[in-house]
Amino acid sequence: MAVVRVTGRDGAERALEATGGCALMDTLRDAGTGIDGTCGGMMSCGTCHVYVDPAWSDRLAPKSEDEQMMLDAIGELVELRPSSRLSCQIAVTDALDGLKVEIAPPV
Amino acid sequence: MGAIDLKQLLESQSLERCPFPIPVGWYFIDYCDTLKPGEMRNVFVFDQEWVLFRTESGKPGMSDPYCPHLGAHMGHGGKVCGEHLRCPFHHWEYDTAGWCKSIPYAKVTPPIVKKQAILRTLPMVEKYGMMWAWYHPQCEAPSFELPYIPEMEDATGYAGTRRGSWTADTCIQEIAENGVDVAHLKFLHNAPMIPPVEATYDGPVMTLNIGKGYIIGKAYGPGLNVMRFNQHGVTATMISYSVPVSKEKTQMNMSFRHVDYAQGTPELAASKKIIDHMIGAAEGEESAGFESVDFIVWNNKKYRPNPLLCDGDGPVLPFRKWFKQFYPGFENSTKI
Repeated sequence: MAVVRVTGRDGAERALEATGGCALMDTLRDAGTGIDGTCGGMMSCGTCHVYVDPAWSDRLAPKSEDEQMMLDAIGELVELRPSSRLSCQIAVTDALDGLKVEIAPPV
Repeated sequence: MGAIDLKQLLESQSLERCPFPIPVGWYFIDYCDTLKPGEMRNVFVFDQEWVLFRTESGKPGMSDPYCPHLGAHMGHGGKVCGEHLRCPFHHWEYDTAGWCKSIPYAKVTPPIVKKQAILRTLPMVEKYGMMWAWYHPQCEAPSFELPYIPEMEDATGYAGTRRGSWTADTCIQEIAENGVDVAHLKFLHNAPMIPPVEATYDGPVMTLNIGKGYIIGKAYGPGLNVMRFNQHGVTATMISYSVPVSKEKTQMNMSFRHVDYAQGTPELAASKKIIDHMIGAAEGEESAGFESVDFIVWNNKKYRPNPLLCDGDGPVLPFRKWFKQFYPGFENSTKI
């Protein structure tokens, strides 16, 4: 089990128990953080964008080309940061206990 | 007495009538004048349904019916909008190459939409007054072109409006195999003798010379055959363009053309008699064209991958080896 600390769009921080074996997006969507995850992990909607705490960036599996393309596509509408990720591409494991992310603005 | 070869006796139990996938090639879809700009309709070929449409500028398209978005059948309620086929469900639009050109409500275009076609469409050309589609099971681009056929494309030199369409309950290879199976011409068609045949192969093209120049046939892949019948100095041409409807059903289409001889000349009469002979028995002849005798065999036979051939049979096995190139992925299949 991994507890993830999430900073919402209102600036408030919450701790969420993320379900192992699922995408972080599922937990964020189900917890009502404003993450939609419309496409379910196909990297075609860009609605699960988070900013990962820079201290954690290198501890995640690297971005695929498709994830980068989706991030680039939403870049015209929302701010991208070096630590921008699609939370549907972050697989939750116990190793992510303590991960900090911030919910990015909606597209 | 040796043991009985049970494999020989029992093999037909496990044989399929048509063990082949749909072969790669260019295939006739319909005549150009049956589809006007802005029109669309559903067609069933290559073992599935397709949406056939023509854009406002006149370009033909043929697409998988099911919208990549949420799976609506675009041939039921969809429409041609300018150069695109539009899905009725959410108005996503596609061009004839399958690229999604409009998602009317998305703020962000999904990256794959910019990267590749997301809807399967078939490459099409219009030639001989017909629409042709290229079928490849892995969606590869055409690997050969349709040939120039003067009988169909020379506006002045040729005539003949006769054409026909027949449905055979078998696959396209089984029909084509009769071209090299010259022994059946004597026994099924009642030809006076078994004619000699020479078959030569060059990539997707097979050339047949039956009866020392009596018939010169050229096959351009599985979907087009041009057979020129020569008799008494007159040549008549059968252009055959079959399309696989399913794995066990083939629509055979043919156009018959001849040199544009003047009315009343013996050459014109001879040309027409040759054409009669191609289809059925011509007047005063004992032998039968394909229409009267081939279907009963095609519609009921099973394909034997290990046939029992004898001397006097035609070059069936080299033909099969040539045809195998149109089944990518089945190179090592023992069923074909």
